[in-house]
Amino acid sequence: MHEFSIALEIVDTLDENGYLDGVNKVNSVKLGIGKYSGIDKNYLGFAFQNLNDERFKDVLLEFIPNDSDEIKIEEIMVD
Amino acid sequence: MLNSNRINRGGGRSLTVQRNALESNEVIAKKNKAIFGRTLVINFLSSPGSGKTSLLESIIPVLKSEGFKSAVIEGDVETDLDKKRIDNLDIPAYQIITNGTCHLDAKMVNGSLGNLDIKDADVIFIENVGNLVCPTSFNLGEDMKVVVLSITEGDDKPLKYPAAFYKSKVMVINKIDLLPVLDSDISKIKENALSINKDLMIFETSCKKKQDGGVDNKGIEDLVSFIKEKVKLKADEFRKIGGNMYF
Repeated sequence: MHEFSIALEIVDTLDENGYLDGVNKVNSVKLGIGKYSGIDKNYLGFAFQNLNDERFKDVLLEFIPNDSDEIKIEEIMVD
Repeated sequence: MLNSNRINRGGGRSLTVQRNALESNEVIAKKNKAIFGRTLVINFLSSPGSGKTSLLESIIPVLKSEGFKSAVIEGDVETDLDKKRIDNLDIPAYQIITNGTCHLDAKMVNGSLGNLDIKDADVIFIENVGNLVCPTSFNLGEDMKVVVLSITEGDDKPLKYPAAFYKSKVMVINKIDLLPVLDSDISKIKENALSINKDLMIFETSCKKKQDGGVDNKGIEDLVSFIKEKVKLKADEFRKIGGNMYF
């Protein structure tokens, strides 16, 4: 289940680029998901719920499908 | 910095990100590529049991006999059994045991490079964890992914696991020595794979061990010729730009 690794990568990318500075809670993450990205959306949601990161505990994932092989973080909504 | 920061009706802030979700893996993959330098790196993907290690056991001695030096990074969930087989070829090899993780990532490969003598290697083979889904998501810094499909797996696999075939430059259809005793339709395998990736190069191979200890290789010479050509192309490309292509 590589979706757990993908969830960790998403958190790292947001953290390392300052998007989580001062953030208490991430309400939603909008992701662009390519049909060749090899991602199971349900598993990815499960992975976020089990990250042991309180900021992402109740996060909602929104997916925008495309024809690529990429996974792109489009937008996040935070408190 | 952050692209936008607006207040929503619900009170939360919306931040536009627009970044590759695997950015931190990509950064390390780029470092790996720089370390690999002129050396061609091939990432082998497949289901468990398709014959990745057997292919390496057939390819590497032919490359060796023609003066090409190989090294291998083995990925396995639990054991070093494949690395022990590669050790018999008397080339540098390193085993990554993922302890349950279903794929290799760039960081794992980066961690292995300090333990593997690759300075003289013309080609490094990375044998990923046997899995047609998870390893496809992670760039390791390789030059190409090669997907191996044995004919026992059925002709529908390219359609059921499209990411592996979409992201690979080459498909190796292995165990073709079994064709006479199976109902597999090799033309259907190719048709399905090419419907996912029309540029996929296809090789048909078998590396059946004979009772006298030898190997009944089929198609290995064509695959080795392809690898040798890519080794030379990569080295030429690297030389042309003065060895600074990835910095």
